[in-house]
Amino acid sequence: MSWVPAETSWQPPWHLGEAIAYLRRIWQRRYFWWSLVKMDLRTRYRGTYLGLGWSLLNPILMTMVMCLVFAKLFHQPLATYAPFVLSGLAFWNYLTGVVIDGCHCFRRGEAYIRQHPAPLAIYPLRAMLVVWIHFWMAFLVLLGTVWLARGSLPWTTLWMVFPAMGLFALLGWGTALVMGMVNVWFEDTAQLVQVVLRALFYVTPVFYDADLLRKHGLGWVVDWNPLAACLEVLRAPLLEGRAPHLEAWAFLLLVALALLGISAGLLARMERRLVFYL
Amino acid sequence: MALVQLQNASVVFTTRRYKNVGLKDFLLRGLFRRSVNPHITVRALDRISFTLHQGDRLGVIGHNGAGKSTLLKLIAGVYPPTEGSCRVEGKVAALFDLTLGFERDASGWENIRYRAYLLGETPRSLEPKLQQIAQFSELGQYLEMPIRYYSSGMIVRLGFSIATAVEPEILVVDEILSAGDASFREKARRRMDQMISQARIAVLASHDLNSLQEFCHQVLWLDRGQMRMLGPAEEVIAAYKEHCGLRQAA
Repeated sequence: MSWVPAETSWQPPWHLGEAIAYLRRIWQRRYFWWSLVKMDLRTRYRGTYLGLGWSLLNPILMTMVMCLVFAKLFHQPLATYAPFVLSGLAFWNYLTGVVIDGCHCFRRGEAYIRQHPAPLAIYPLRAMLVVWIHFWMAFLVLLGTVWLARGSLPWTTLWMVFPAMGLFALLGWGTALVMGMVNVWFEDTAQLVQVVLRALFYVTPVFYDADLLRKHGLGWVVDWNPLAACLEVLRAPLLEGRAPHLEAWAFLLLVALALLGISAGLLARMERRLVFYL
Repeated sequence: MALVQLQNASVVFTTRRYKNVGLKDFLLRGLFRRSVNPHITVRALDRISFTLHQGDRLGVIGHNGAGKSTLLKLIAGVYPPTEGSCRVEGKVAALFDLTLGFERDASGWENIRYRAYLLGETPRSLEPKLQQIAQFSELGQYLEMPIRYYSSGMIVRLGFSIATAVEPEILVVDEILSAGDASFREKARRRMDQMISQARIAVLASHDLNSLQEFCHQVLWLDRGQMRMLGPAEEVIAAYKEHCGLRQAA
């Protein structure tokens, strides 16, 4: 029999050994969260005619609308602007997905949490993976768009996108975990973050070039914005065929480290107690 | 060796009248501190101590809200002891509310998998049990349907079939000696009997005093989170009955 014992005594994932043991417990439950991820992917578009196609079509349609207005406004040729916006929107959809779904991750898992002591981090992991997989699909569309617009793909730098995607997954997991914890305690979070996300959308170079802000002396808005750094590490190798600025990577690694610390702290404090607040 | 050892274990948590902090509450807190949404401290279990060894069968009785379910969740590892200690050695299978924790959009088959995976099964270890679970539930074709179309009785059948497809070392059961319709109940009862007798340690909470007396050597009587009495089944149940009788007479 492989029924895992109820983990009734264990230490918070604070020290390295414990963190590894914690990750191992998450891995032991991989069939559980992975099957939930698969279910979420299947049921998200339940009853719609296009099904998963919507997650491909959504950024394409948005990009078309954006191109209609902003390509003119910013005097950009469509061939460069379309992949630019599409990459921005693909990332943005990922971010909003991680934040909003993250807010609800523990509530969605409530029935499981109340019945069985599995590691809590699997619930934000589930939320993140679902949007991350959608992100990958949008990425494929993006590749197609780049290829159409340029006639070729930047083969020499393309590989650099993959570590970036990995980093996004890590950042997304931490974000979802923090949002989920905060939302359990303070249920208005899910509403508040929608406003915050809307505001962030405009200070992040999703649909305009970061240099545009720099020209107007607003460079600090993008230089201190981790989301702008995310877009840099995604766009540079994909659209411009160059390695991303090292500062962007360093900045993101710092952010990831901070998120990891916050997540570990929250888990150490809440892993066993969260069930009381649900 | 299976072991359940509680030493002065308490479960105390604070909650609020309106569950969580809302924005309004957050903003008003400075003005009407405590009055808007006061903290309520719940002492669900208060200094519980006992030890169960291999072969022990413990029945837990008490009024609603006495802490029976909390005790079982403590043993199952869902709740941590907030004071004292709770040591559990052995694989635990817990049967709580059987209707909880189903994904409504997924089919019966899928839900069997989710639940089993949560409990630590792998696709390989689950495969031989799948048919057995399906057969026991007698749901047949309905297993292809999403759970949202199930009646509550069907959900209980499914939940019971999954939860009991185990041979746990420590079995924790919360008031489900009566599951489903008459024919299923008889079958479920036989399965329960078998599980209880096979488990190394069993802890059962129930209002059905007769079946507790039948299964358990020892009975713990909980009263408002405290141990009122712990001892041989007949003695404690007799005392409990007397107490209930007195309350009715009064």
